[in-house]
Amino acid sequence: MFGLFKKFTTPQKLREKGILGMNARNFHIISKCNPRNLYPLVDDKVTTKNLAIKSGVQTPDMIGVIEHQFQVSNILDMVKNHSEFVVKPSHGSGGKGVLVIKSYTEDTFTLPSGKIITYNELYQHISNILSGLYSLGGRYDTALIEEVVHFSDIFKDYSYQGVPDVRIIVYKGYPIMAMTRLSTACSGGRANLHQGAVGVGLDIKTGKTKKAVQHNIPITHHPDTNADLRKIEVPLWREHLLIAAKAYEMTGLGYFGADIVLDAKKGPMMLELNARPGLAIQIANGSGLKKAIKKIDKKYPQNLNAEERINFILS
Amino acid sequence: MKNSFHVRLFLGILLLFAICFSIYSIYYKTKYWGFSLSPKQTSNVWMVEAHINFVADGENPITATLRIPTKNRGFKVLDESITAKGYKHKKLSDRIVFSRSSTTGDQNLYYKLMVFDNTLGKDKLRAPAPEKIKKPLWNDQTVTQAKQILHLSKQQDGRNSIEKLIKFFNQEPMDPTLKSMLPVQYSPKTAIEFMMNLLSLENIPTRIARGIKLEEGQTLYPDLMLEAYINGAWWLYDPQTGKQGLPDNFLVFQRGETSLLDVTGGTASSIKFSMQKSITASMNLAERRAQLSKDTGLFNYSIYNLPIAQQNTLKWLSVFPIGILIVVLMRNIVGIQTMGTFTPMLISMSLVKTGFLTGLACFVAIILLGLGIRFLMSKFNLLLVPRISAVVIFVILIIHALTIIGYNFDIKIAQASVFFPIIITAWIIERASITWEEDGPVNASKELLNSLIVGIIVYFVIANAHIRHIMFAFNELNIVILLIVMLLGTYTGYRLTELKRFAPLVKK
Ligand SMILES: Nc1ncnc2c1ncn2[C@@H]1O[C@H](COP(=O)(O)OP(=O)(O)O)[C@@H](O)[C@H]1O
Ligand SMILES: [Mg+2]
Repeated sequence: MFGLFKKFTTPQKLREKGILGMNARNFHIISKCNPRNLYPLVDDKVTTKNLAIKSGVQTPDMIGVIEHQFQVSNILDMVKNHSEFVVKPSHGSGGKGVLVIKSYTEDTFTLPSGKIITYNELYQHISNILSGLYSLGGRYDTALIEEVVHFSDIFKDYSYQGVPDVRIIVYKGYPIMAMTRLSTACSGGRANLHQGAVGVGLDIKTGKTKKAVQHNIPITHHPDTNADLRKIEVPLWREHLLIAAKAYEMTGLGYFGADIVLDAKKGPMMLELNARPGLAIQIANGSGLKKAIKKIDKKYPQNLNAEERINFILS
Repeated sequence: MKNSFHVRLFLGILLLFAICFSIYSIYYKTKYWGFSLSPKQTSNVWMVEAHINFVADGENPITATLRIPTKNRGFKVLDESITAKGYKHKKLSDRIVFSRSSTTGDQNLYYKLMVFDNTLGKDKLRAPAPEKIKKPLWNDQTVTQAKQILHLSKQQDGRNSIEKLIKFFNQEPMDPTLKSMLPVQYSPKTAIEFMMNLLSLENIPTRIARGIKLEEGQTLYPDLMLEAYINGAWWLYDPQTGKQGLPDNFLVFQRGETSLLDVTGGTASSIKFSMQKSITASMNLAERRAQLSKDTGLFNYSIYNLPIAQQNTLKWLSVFPIGILIVVLMRNIVGIQTMGTFTPMLISMSLVKTGFLTGLACFVAIILLGLGIRFLMSKFNLLLVPRISAVVIFVILIIHALTIIGYNFDIKIAQASVFFPIIITAWIIERASITWEEDGPVNASKELLNSLIVGIIVYFVIANAHIRHIMFAFNELNIVILLIVMLLGTYTGYRLTELKRFAPLVKK
């Protein structure tokens, strides 16, 4: 009984630490900073991509869009100039329905894990995307076909499978907190913290490891690769921050999370934006979002452009 | 911040109003409509029939006068009817007069009365002082003996000489002096008249009240009560126990000198009372109570005036808001993630229909079977809509099978499957199987389990007979719940689960 009790903390202590709770996030932050009519801009990846292109933010190039069932059989024709491609639901979330094809023939498609699927399975997968299997509320969806990102090697030792992206939380245009999620054997190769992925909080000024946690417990080495997590330093950090900051003008959202991946040749690219980013980032960073938000509200100048804001942060 | 404070204040004030209104309304409904806070509350409705019988003499016009209970206290009349073929009748406040021209043969007249809400009538009947007291014509020796009895009776305990005398009279064994004054065999009436004579010596005016005890059966003899005039009012006394006041099971038909039944133009008259009790849910009498309280307007526009079938539907609906409140509490205050917002609600509703354990076992069986089939089906790579539709059909087939098995082997558990909403069940299966594929079996089971747990909690609330009764009988409470739910919508504090989730953040 006492042991169970010890697992809990008090609201008082959380408040002191400036931790943002789910109710406060929804009520004070999201409902005030993010007008509902802006949601479609980030909920639809095709729209986000088009916006990003306009604002000069790098994203993986779009190969094509499949909107209707009869177009599904065009898939091979669509990707004929590409040796690899990614299929993902335009309204997806949490990595659901994302299929990365590393190489393919007429009827076999190889995934990064080495698993091979048939043409029928791919066809089926795209049909599922269209019928809304991966979209919120099961709405009809479109399938986005885009170029594969060639992830930079720097994360190679830190991830069990797949490639980690960097999540940056942006409040009123200022990046306030960052982390990267590393998949583990325990998380089944997925990058969800609650499934056992490692969360690494990144210092917002430097892109260096602040803290690493798995299952809410601080760790120093990756459980599978044994790489020293304290040594992570994301290269091109300023560019990462700039992409996140630009997304503020691009969408008009006052609070969002930007998912950024690092391509070995092309540098950081924006994968997607999330208007309701989760709160686990606080655990990975060991600090509270509310505190960071308050600081922005109080001290940081308004009406700066993206570049200026980043300079302000880094100064 | 300021804004949300205003919203909260506004909702809080509304909530306060709603609470005050509900309290008043609960008071009003219990007082005037007789609603009670307990669902098991039933009321006895007594049907009393007075059957008058006599033989017409064939010469004179007939009049029969029956004294009837005055409405002044002790009970409410649900219904009253008079059956008298060939008679004209006139109902006055304390009697009915039947009349007709002369006839011959056996005459039968009926007066039927349905009463409820008998209350112990402790109060007295105010009346002007009666005329001079009639003293018995006794010789000196008898008077001496009577005085001696009165004197002896003073040793009994009781509030006044009437109570004392009645107690003394009913003593076992009977006092020898008293015994010597009474005939060997005497009727209750004789006994009361004797007591009245004794009391007259003390100058206490008395009279007999006739009525019936509300006990199921028939009787040819009305019960008698002794009534004494004290301090400007008539008080009733039970001649057996001496207890003062009108017992709650007693219906007075007639008081004083007049007789219960007067017949002219007929002979061999008799009156027979039959009493029958029926038990009705207290709420069913609400309308009559409302009428008696001269306030039908409100009642006519309440849900309690609707046909029973519609009332039952509303009764079922009235309990939902409290279930919804629990789901909101669980999600926003406790922080339990459930499968969709109202899946728990639907699970609990099904459990109410099936019964708890049977329903639970059945639900788990359907979900497991469904998941199994869903996994087999995933091999076919069907499109989403046809696939969900197929799951729906499978669920229907599972329910068929379970019901048949349940019937043949008399397993109640399996029979309960009929009550699960097919579409919802299919949707739960689909959702669980996707979570399973995407987030792993642990997460899928967790989501299912959370929904089930919340569903069970909701079940225990909405299945509770008391809560259901209260939410229906006092449906204004739903306004209170509505405002609480809205207020919860402004709760921005930490969820209970977050206290655990973020605990590592504040550890050293
Ligand atoms: N173009 C791509 N190239 C390589 N991997 C990708 C690509 N797009 C997505 N992924 C992988 O899929 C994951 C989820 O993709 P994302 O676009 O963020 O969709 P979601 O909204 O479902 O999270 C990414 O974290 C990344 O690992
Ligand atoms: Mg993502």
